[in-house]
Amino acid sequence: MKIRIAKSVLVEAVAQVSKAVSQKTTIPVLTGMKAIADQEGLLLTGSNSDITIQVRIPHVKEDQEQVFVEQTGSVVIPGKIFGEMVRKLPGEYVEWEVNERYQITIQSGSTEFQLHGFNPDEYPRLPRLSADQVFSIPADELRSLIRQTGFSVATNEARGVLTGVLWQLENGVLTCVATDSHRLSRRLIPTPNTGQLSLDNVILPGKSMSELAKTFADDEDSVEIVVADHQLLVKNEHIEFYSRLLDGTYPDTNRVIPQCGDTELITSTRELLQSVERASLISRDGRDNVIKWTMSDDTVEVTSVSQDVGSVTEEVKARVKGNALGISFNARYMIEALRSIESDEIRIQFTGTMTPFIIQPADRDDTLHLIVPIRTR
Amino acid sequence: MFQPADNLKNNHNDRIVMLADCESFYASVEKAAHPEYRDQPLVVAGDPTRRSGIILAACPLAKKYGITTAERLGVSLAKCPDLVVIRPRMQEYIRVSLQITGIYQSYTDLVEPYSIDEHFLDVTGSIHLFGDPYQIAKRIQDQVQQETGVRVRIGMSENKVLSKMACDRFAKRNSVGIFYLPAKELQKMLWPLPVQHMFMVGSRTCRHLQTMGIYTIGQLAQTSLTKLRSRWGVNGEVLWLIANGKNDSPVNPHTHGKPKVIGHQMTLPFDYRKLEDILVPLLELSELVCQRARMKGYMGQVVSVGCQGADFAHPSGFHRQMKLPDPTHLTDEVFEIAKKLFKEHWDGLPIRRVGVSLSQLVSDQEYQLTLFDNRETKLVLERTTDWIKEKYGNAAIMRASSLTESGQARNRAQKIGGHYK
Repeated sequence: MKIRIAKSVLVEAVAQVSKAVSQKTTIPVLTGMKAIADQEGLLLTGSNSDITIQVRIPHVKEDQEQVFVEQTGSVVIPGKIFGEMVRKLPGEYVEWEVNERYQITIQSGSTEFQLHGFNPDEYPRLPRLSADQVFSIPADELRSLIRQTGFSVATNEARGVLTGVLWQLENGVLTCVATDSHRLSRRLIPTPNTGQLSLDNVILPGKSMSELAKTFADDEDSVEIVVADHQLLVKNEHIEFYSRLLDGTYPDTNRVIPQCGDTELITSTRELLQSVERASLISRDGRDNVIKWTMSDDTVEVTSVSQDVGSVTEEVKARVKGNALGISFNARYMIEALRSIESDEIRIQFTGTMTPFIIQPADRDDTLHLIVPIRTR
Repeated sequence: MFQPADNLKNNHNDRIVMLADCESFYASVEKAAHPEYRDQPLVVAGDPTRRSGIILAACPLAKKYGITTAERLGVSLAKCPDLVVIRPRMQEYIRVSLQITGIYQSYTDLVEPYSIDEHFLDVTGSIHLFGDPYQIAKRIQDQVQQETGVRVRIGMSENKVLSKMACDRFAKRNSVGIFYLPAKELQKMLWPLPVQHMFMVGSRTCRHLQTMGIYTIGQLAQTSLTKLRSRWGVNGEVLWLIANGKNDSPVNPHTHGKPKVIGHQMTLPFDYRKLEDILVPLLELSELVCQRARMKGYMGQVVSVGCQGADFAHPSGFHRQMKLPDPTHLTDEVFEIAKKLFKEHWDGLPIRRVGVSLSQLVSDQEYQLTLFDNRETKLVLERTTDWIKEKYGNAAIMRASSLTESGQARNRAQKIGGHYK
């Protein structure tokens, strides 16, 4: 294998693939990045036990030659050092040559690195996914889906399926749900071109969700999503992102989401968020980060008391309908939910001091956050 | 046997710490309750109907016959056929112990229960009200004797370990049962004693010390600290400090106030061989642990399970723990984890002893509710059974599995610490 490639193009591709390269593994070859040079250009692959990212650098992009393949071939190159090395190379172009013993020579400007590579035949094959469960959505909608649900997953590995985000597709609507059993986030996206396709109990690990958002962070077009039994693939023209799916059955969340509330509150998202952030200064060192809201006619009183630190009280103007109510909850859950909401106004519906309450943007109902209160005596 | 009065003068900075020990506690309580046995040798025995029952306490008269605690009843009866044998009443002993604690608390707020019949008292701040240490000790001794019929022996010194040794080595051996050991008398009074008479030195430590050529407390005190540290680490340092009479731990009234762990264990009446049989006491223990946690107002985040094999010659068993996502005091949730841990770690050998405990305790005054499990409903049910048990006893309501041959709940409900209430 022998190629010549524009450094900026290589840096970008390696940064993408590096996210999937294993830092530590019992399979040494997975600490490497697989490179294949063929007639169409260069293909880079990184993989760990959860995700695989594959980036293709085509020969020519927008009439500009990016990579010139003088001799085709393949190799597995040590991932961590290669990732750091390419960023530090001095020249505009990189010459990359591999001999039959997988010794790699990287040359740029007046610098020449010699690296020991691995045999590419030892690198695991990518899963082949059957293409019957396929649909596509705009990349920006995928990102907002992830941004508005991903933070609610359970982080403790012992929580099983709750460490993942549930994907459901039915009647042309894609629903994502995440919950750690203390709070829940749900986002719906219309997917008009999915026809009869329906998906249920597809559970994507929470970590994969955040990597997925980063991988397609700059994409302005649509991405294609392929769902198989144990894998999910998201791809565009140049990038393929594979993730394993979690085994197990996701709990039925519909039955725990209340349908209406006895007390309703409408107010400015930003003002409410800022008041909760201030109250959290007092509560954040406590075990459950507890703050309390007391709703009356046209205000929400926000209070927090800590035995060690002190206390805080403030009032936020709000339109309140229904019964007066006092409720305690974890401020962090509220902050994370409010930060993810883009609308100026929010609507919160309460069903009681001991039962979950629902936070939604006031102007749309495709987004829902639910918080389970803290019981106090 | 007392020191002259000038030894009792208390310097301004010196602490006065007492260790008050109840003489033949259970037996004394029984003698006070049964005046007719006043002049007869009396013992409290685990199970008076069996000659294999263990002597829990023997009154001074019985001890004159050579009867010692922890020997078998049969052996004692051989020494003294006229022995009065009483079945233990643990509930009553706890009541009297608390009554005695109350008496101590009228002298100082710094009272630390050390066991059912021993208390540490820091009376430094009360001395000026009563004169000198001897007078306050005498008044305490008289008042306890009068109100409960129990004789207490009081050792006094500057700190806890010295007062404990003052009691064990001197107050228990003199006629008045009171002894003050000034720290400056340490070398004269304690150092000549054999090392096994020191607090914290058991028979094994004693053997090890003797192989190092250390036979007296004084020799231990003068051994180089580095040598002891390299042999036993921190424990070596602890021994050296005790031998030199140094100990600055406070008398802490809250030692028994804030538990770190709530646990129960039981010795099974026969070898349990099948998982389904072992799960019955495991559930009973989970329930007891949760019942106590609820009563004390705690939830725990770590569940531990331990068991011991039946063949003591070939010790088997394990102790394992697991952290829960949310703190709990619900029987179902604790048992679920206990069961899981047991299934994972049990080697299949017969079991004679099991235990369950809950740690990383947090207050249950404020807790995060959850979305899926209906924990509040379960809690209401458990609080109801707690209430029934508190009012009518632990055997008043129990799970059906406790009625099987493997169940221990009924038997255990009649006992405290393995002995009859």
